[in-house]
Amino acid sequence: MFATLLGRAVCLVLAGSALGLAVNAARPDGIRFTRFAPPTTCGAGEAAPAPRAAPVEVLAPTAAVSVCGDAQTLVADVRPADEFARGHVTGAIHLPCASSDGAASAAVDRLAGRHTLVVYGDGTEDAKVVADELRRRGGRADLRIVVIDGGFEAWSRAGLACSSGPCAECGAPGAPR
Amino acid sequence: MTRALALVLRLGLGGLLIVAGALKLRAPVAFATEIANYQLVPAVAPYVAAVLPVLELVVGGALVVAPRAWRRAAALGALGMLAAFTFAVASAYFRRINIDCGCFGTGGGPITGLTLARNLVLMAAAATIVAAERG
Repeated sequence: MFATLLGRAVCLVLAGSALGLAVNAARPDGIRFTRFAPPTTCGAGEAAPAPRAAPVEVLAPTAAVSVCGDAQTLVADVRPADEFARGHVTGAIHLPCASSDGAASAAVDRLAGRHTLVVYGDGTEDAKVVADELRRRGGRADLRIVVIDGGFEAWSRAGLACSSGPCAECGAPGAPR
Repeated sequence: MTRALALVLRLGLGGLLIVAGALKLRAPVAFATEIANYQLVPAVAPYVAAVLPVLELVVGGALVVAPRAWRRAAALGALGMLAAFTFAVASAYFRRINIDCGCFGTGGGPITGLTLARNLVLMAAAATIVAAERG
């Protein structure tokens, strides 16, 4: 009895899957499997860190604020777009975990000529993931990478400067949302 | 009473799967990116994104209009799909990966404890249909 039920369920799943593949193949905007490139800002964990890259530092907001105001510092916010729009550290770029490969590469390009990268998120760990990936991609021994301990909430609690507004990059094709 | 409950759950869960499938069909490449963001098996994300929306439509449609024997099979299929979704959502939630759920296509909102709870409730609904549609 259960075998019949299971057989029917498998039939439904197989039929749905086959139909899904057929619909995808027929659509002009369907997924082209060989060309699909997954987002990589967070990395997949399989790539070894660049040997020359400096370690990521975790600093309290009050300590991190001293490097944020420097023109040679790039600040990256890894939170979702709606949280970024509600408020973020002044001058921060939006670079969530789900950013495209292109957005991550653009962030690395923006680090050229700068000596410090400050990354923050909802907490400490989500920022560390993106910081580690940028560290690996940048591979620079002279780049100081700082994660704000406690994230934006701790930053706000400390009464440090922030700004609000829509995320300009969020609407672009392939941009992080 | 059991029949009425099964009918309500069938229409509710079937309708939800149809809406979710239709929304996911709108932007397949963006949906593939949402799946890859879970960092489980990124290589299969485009295949899952191609298959899942239509699969949800088929299973949801069967829950609503198919004869009883096939409705029960559809509920079992929905239970399996929801179990896979719940595993993926729980995995992202407990690894603290800050991503959109992708539950209703792109822009479905971030994964929270409520997302996980909602999936567990839907799994319970599917299991109830399997049990109630017996015989």
